Amino acid sequence: MRLRSIRFRLTAWYAGLLTIVILALGALLFLHLRSYLEDTLLDTQARRARQISGTLVANAASTGEAYVARQVAALYDPERSDRFIRITGGDGRIVYLSGVPNSQAFDPAAVPAAPASINGEFRRRQKVAGAPAVLITAVRAEAGGTPYLVEVGTSAAPVEALFRHLLLLLGLGLPVVALLAASGGYLLIRWALQPVDQIAGKAEQITQHNLSERLPVPSTGDELESLSVALNRMITRLDDAFLNSKRFVADASHELRTPLTILRGELESMIQEGAFPAPDRERIGGLLEEVERLTMIVERLFALSRLDAGEAQSEWVRFDLAELASTTAGQMTLLAEDRRIAVTCDTGTPVMVDGDRSRLKQVVVNLLDNAIKYTPEGGAVRLRVLAAQGLAVLEVIDTGVGIPPEDLPRVFNRFFRVNQTRSQHPEGAGLGLAIVESICSANHGEIEVESVPNKGSCFRVKLPLAA
Amino acid sequence: MRILVVEDERKVAELVSRGLKAARYAVDVAVDGESGWAMANTYPYDLIILDLGLPGISGLELLRRIRRRDARVPVLVLTAKDATTSKVENFEAGADDYLTKPFAFAELQVRVKSLLRRGPVSQGGEVRVADLEIDRLTQQVRRGGRRIELTPKEYGLLEYLATQPGRVFSRTMIVEHVWDESFEGLTNIVDVYVRHLREKVDAPHPVKLIHTVRGVGYSLSEDSAA
Repeated sequence: MRLRSIRFRLTAWYAGLLTIVILALGALLFLHLRSYLEDTLLDTQARRARQISGTLVANAASTGEAYVARQVAALYDPERSDRFIRITGGDGRIVYLSGVPNSQAFDPAAVPAAPASINGEFRRRQKVAGAPAVLITAVRAEAGGTPYLVEVGTSAAPVEALFRHLLLLLGLGLPVVALLAASGGYLLIRWALQPVDQIAGKAEQITQHNLSERLPVPSTGDELESLSVALNRMITRLDDAFLNSKRFVADASHELRTPLTILRGELESMIQEGAFPAPDRERIGGLLEEVERLTMIVERLFALSRLDAGEAQSEWVRFDLAELASTTAGQMTLLAEDRRIAVTCDTGTPVMVDGDRSRLKQVVVNLLDNAIKYTPEGGAVRLRVLAAQGLAVLEVIDTGVGIPPEDLPRVFNRFFRVNQTRSQHPEGAGLGLAIVESICSANHGEIEVESVPNKGSCFRVKLPLAA
Repeated sequence: MRILVVEDERKVAELVSRGLKAARYAVDVAVDGESGWAMANTYPYDLIILDLGLPGISGLELLRRIRRRDARVPVLVLTAKDATTSKVENFEAGADDYLTKPFAFAELQVRVKSLLRRGPVSQGGEVRVADLEIDRLTQQVRRGGRRIELTPKEYGLLEYLATQPGRVFSRTMIVEHVWDESFEGLTNIVDVYVRHLREKVDAPHPVKLIHTVRGVGYSLSEDSAA
């Protein structure tokens, strides 16, 4: 899964937002619940404190402080109800202090004294060393001119335990929920994007050879429908552009023939009538060579337009590619010998293919011609034909000048020529390999090339074996 | 010998008729299908040269009409389509031979000649060009009485050039005739074979028989100006 993919980003956003929402909700709940619970507990303590101060401490002048202490112990039984009760006299003298509660939650003796400057009712959350905090409400009272402070408290331990539990629940639950949300979101997004994948897959199958095909349009009225429609319109425009350029090539190569015929004919008759001195005949000959070159370009363009129009199937036969290769190599050996290039031909068993024999011969001729042309004197050209993995493979390997890596992807383009060869072999037009490629694909095959500059090139044609 | 040229491009028609007239044929020119059909119906032509891309009645239609009326008159088709694909349809329509534009005039002449003879150039006998002797039966070549050893292709090339001494043969014609097929890449081979042939036939002798006509092709002749 790539980090920049829409699937990953949407899932991350989805899970992240959900986590933030849960965390915010948890924090809100946590804070609110905590203050509510503590307030409730403090309210209860306040009620008790007011009872004690109103009923017992207020009468301390008449009943005596010892009576008050006994009554508090008897009526409120603070040790059993886990409560903290402290009654302090005006000068800090302790009138009553509850004992250690049964739950051992805190030590009353360790609870620090209330701040001196308090009036009326005062609530506090008193931290106690080595124990949970104690929630204390302090109430002032007076009896016979003596000021008293009544403090009633209870341990915050149950509340804290509850929140610890809640935190634990949130801490463990959140990743699980986030993970569930993320995977659910991921699946949902995948489900939502699946039609896009299908459209992409179908669009991938449309190449320049089947541009007349269109993508199926789901009538869902949503973005997917408009995507398919938009893609189809684009394919239509491409199709038109391709058709126009093919028609242009076909028309141009056709229209150029008549003027070329006249040029050639007139120039030839000028030479043959013998009315011109030798130097002029040489110049006319030079013109004729250019006419021949133009003719060659026209022929090649015409061949390409024929192949574009899918007219290769007209002469479909079954034949032995190995035999074709070795015959052709034999015919061209002299051309190679002339440049002291050794041509070897590795063809063992027959390799039968179905196709247009004469056009595939053109493939072998063009590849061999190139190999011989671009291999320095004394080099070697090897032709191999073999059957491998259900394919007929023809390789032309040379020890020539090679092709620069940046030019490799373009060697099959029409009119493309490697800069270096343009100057050394000005007679070419950059159409030979384009024709080779067109013939290969018209015969349901493909061609690939590997090359190392100054080491050599290998052109590999793959065709389906005859069934 | 009377030849009808049906060709709508006036300059091409003129070129063809001028060349054929120079070769002492009687030539009529028709510039569209209708007049071509009318003329073909009026005169007994020995050969019809027919361009396929005609206005009015198309070349193929005219060819079919001519064939329906007269099965024997040879028809040489000029076409702007490429050779391999239109071959079948041209012959099916009744053409005896065809030439793809732009063609070498020498090639047109060779085809015209062979169509008028109704058959290939004779295969037997001996050909002499100056002191060069070619025996077609034994395929032996001698010059100045000395035997010259040639490979089969070298022999084929020499024999082809010797069919009409003095005539210039284009590389395409040579490849099509000697190799029996035509491929662009193969025309380069002709130059190599001609050089080998020269080494064997001409190098030891002061009089050169094989001539290069730049831009056109090769010829075999005693006369160096040809």
